[in-house]
Amino acid sequence: MIEMFAEATLMLMRFDVIAMIAAGLTLGMLVGALPGFTTVMAMAIVLPISFFMEPILGIPFLIGVYKGGIFGGSIPAILVNIPGTGASVATTLDGPAMTRNGQSRKALEIALVASAVADFISSFWTIIVIGIIAAIALLIGPPEIAAILILSLLVIVVSSSGNFLKGMVMLLIGCFLAMIGQDPIGAMVRFDFGFHPLQAGIHLLPLIIGLFAIPEILIAIERRRANVVEKIEGRRAEGERLRWSEIVGCGKTIMRSTVLGAGIGMIPGVGQVVAAFMGYSAAKNASSHPETFGKGEIEGVAAPEAANNAVNGPTMVPLLTLGIPGDNITAIMLGAFVAQGLRPGPQLFQEQGVLVYSLLISMLIACVLLLVIGYLLTPLFARIVSINKAYLLPLMLLFAVAGTYVYRSNIMDLYFMIAFGIFGYAARKLEFDVTPLVMGFILLPPLEYAVGQSTLLSRGDLFGYLVSSRPITVAVLVLAPILILWIAHRQRKIARAAPAGSG
Amino acid sequence: MKPIKALILGLAAAVGLTGTAMAQDDFPNRPLTMIIPLGAGGSHDLNARVITSVLPEILGQPVVVQLMPGAGGQTGTAAAAEAQADGYTMLFTHNFIDQLQQHVANLPYDPNEDFVSVARVNTAQPILVVREDSPFETFDDLVAYGQENPGELRFGHSGNWGAFMVPGLALMQEVGVETTLIPYQGGGPVIQALLAGDLDFTFAFPSVLSGQDLRALMIVGEDQIIEGIPTSTELGFDTVSEIGVMHRGVMVPAGTPEDRLEVLREAFVTINDNEVYQTLMARMDENTAHMSGEEFDELRQRQADSYRELVESFQ
Repeated sequence: MIEMFAEATLMLMRFDVIAMIAAGLTLGMLVGALPGFTTVMAMAIVLPISFFMEPILGIPFLIGVYKGGIFGGSIPAILVNIPGTGASVATTLDGPAMTRNGQSRKALEIALVASAVADFISSFWTIIVIGIIAAIALLIGPPEIAAILILSLLVIVVSSSGNFLKGMVMLLIGCFLAMIGQDPIGAMVRFDFGFHPLQAGIHLLPLIIGLFAIPEILIAIERRRANVVEKIEGRRAEGERLRWSEIVGCGKTIMRSTVLGAGIGMIPGVGQVVAAFMGYSAAKNASSHPETFGKGEIEGVAAPEAANNAVNGPTMVPLLTLGIPGDNITAIMLGAFVAQGLRPGPQLFQEQGVLVYSLLISMLIACVLLLVIGYLLTPLFARIVSINKAYLLPLMLLFAVAGTYVYRSNIMDLYFMIAFGIFGYAARKLEFDVTPLVMGFILLPPLEYAVGQSTLLSRGDLFGYLVSSRPITVAVLVLAPILILWIAHRQRKIARAAPAGSG
Repeated sequence: MKPIKALILGLAAAVGLTGTAMAQDDFPNRPLTMIIPLGAGGSHDLNARVITSVLPEILGQPVVVQLMPGAGGQTGTAAAAEAQADGYTMLFTHNFIDQLQQHVANLPYDPNEDFVSVARVNTAQPILVVREDSPFETFDDLVAYGQENPGELRFGHSGNWGAFMVPGLALMQEVGVETTLIPYQGGGPVIQALLAGDLDFTFAFPSVLSGQDLRALMIVGEDQIIEGIPTSTELGFDTVSEIGVMHRGVMVPAGTPEDRLEVLREAFVTINDNEVYQTLMARMDENTAHMSGEEFDELRQRQADSYRELVESFQ
């Protein structure tokens, strides 16, 4: 294996390979930073270009677009509170707060470092133990997905701060909104109130852009200041750069999130969202100063960013070992492989081992290059906040509207976005946090799907089925209340230890 | 509503024909759009990427892929139905969206009235598969077990009224077997579930089959694409063969001027002889079974009736 590694690495040491990865990263980052343009779309558009390149150039190019796009999505989440995807919603908990505190450059840089480091470690780990991960991936079926989702939701709810009742109300509203449209198992239309456009359900993008961007714009208008960030004499609006000591300070958080993300990465589809929130909750629970989370805590940016990028490694495993794509991104990668005449699966490893390893190693190179290119570009992005509000706010509105529409060219999505914008504004004024709503909206459908599938798989005897043939599910479900009690206990201890009034 | 719409369309077409007769010569003179009523990354998207990377050579204009997923394909199809019938907007769809959705949902369009076919691009024949270590050696084994144990067989499919549920349902009805249907989100997850041992059988397209620990028991359709495996036609299930195969086709809104339709139809005949197109399709294990627009429209009409019967018998 060492020999194959060396040979594979040598194959990649070409100027054009490195240049293609760098081009992909830059392209991905720019596209990902535009709300509405998802990483999947960017990859689908450049896919045909890769058809006509050598495999060693075309596939690393796509990997570059992929990794650049995922990081790019965090940029508007941090700067202007517009998360382009579900995966970057957790980043809005502390990212925009850091920007408002005049630390946008620092926030972007810690996001970059956390993303690249976590991605590198998880990809490296994946390459080493790909066989074991593949075996575990086969053990994860609908009952396990349901159990892990339930556990995650409980952990996130218990460790979230703020008014518990308000949080639950928002969570339930989110769950209800997610139920509009066809039910996932029987495809029966529900809650459409006889209104045809509702049959297709509400899409995530108008919901998050509406809930986050529109209130942000309206509230910025209300504040009678020329800039989004308060200008302090003799200091730049984007603030200082990231210090080495701060990276070291976040080291533990990044590691914890990486482990969590690489574990949760087994859940196809929603892995990134769950990982980001779990990473955030875990960082907060472990922190000695949990009260600073949500107010511009640097670890609050590092944690979700590391977690959602650590998912990337494991999601490639079913594609490479079985030839089965778990989500849209890996499906596009599959397309790139087959168009090159390479058929991912067990045979490819035997026949083209060196090529497969060189593609895997190109993922590592992409992480390193991401750090370099990101480091060069973040100062530019960070300066966006120094634009005068009179120009920045209309631009934000333009991107919010264009981003919502461009996703699938559906005019209904714009109406939904405006409606959610008004709702989000009212919620902010009444001090309701909309994050639980988004979480419920994203996590309920896969949970409902998995529970429905599990019930069907059990052919009527759900309890007996779980006990007799689903040991992992039972273990997770037994572990859940223990973990919840432990977190609650810890929180009480910290609350007691902290002097009253300081939190 | 319908006759009025048809009249307006007819008038518009008539005016359009006389008014722009001279401009017609250079159709297309601006980029074309191909609407896909599905999301990025699926097999349909990949097929479209191949088509649109070659088609510009033939038409002399770029072809832009527009993904409009939602509601089992209805969202994109409805948008294509409302698009101007000027030949610049095409719809790339398949029969399970095109002809089946009308029987399971209330549609804002009529697939056979509102569209006319440019071409059938290719077909994909689902293959009934079990795990390699499954006790079912042949299709007959599976049927025999299913008949003795109603509801025991777990049949996983790639989504409601999709490419695997339809042939499975039609087939199981023919042989009188009652199964437990379990939906998954796409063809990838369902194969993974089969490999994990959660299911008894499912279907897969040829591209997924190679190198997997799977055993093929039967091929839906006419062509024996794997040696030694019976086809549904051979076993006498003609309806299954007709409605269970995926037909990918390109359509334009009804009322598109004849000469423009002809340009597009001709382009899809030409693309079929293109070497790059053939190579890319072959690598993806897709065939290039082109069918003319006229013939495909007749086939679609027949499919519509068969699907109605299938859906009625299931509900």
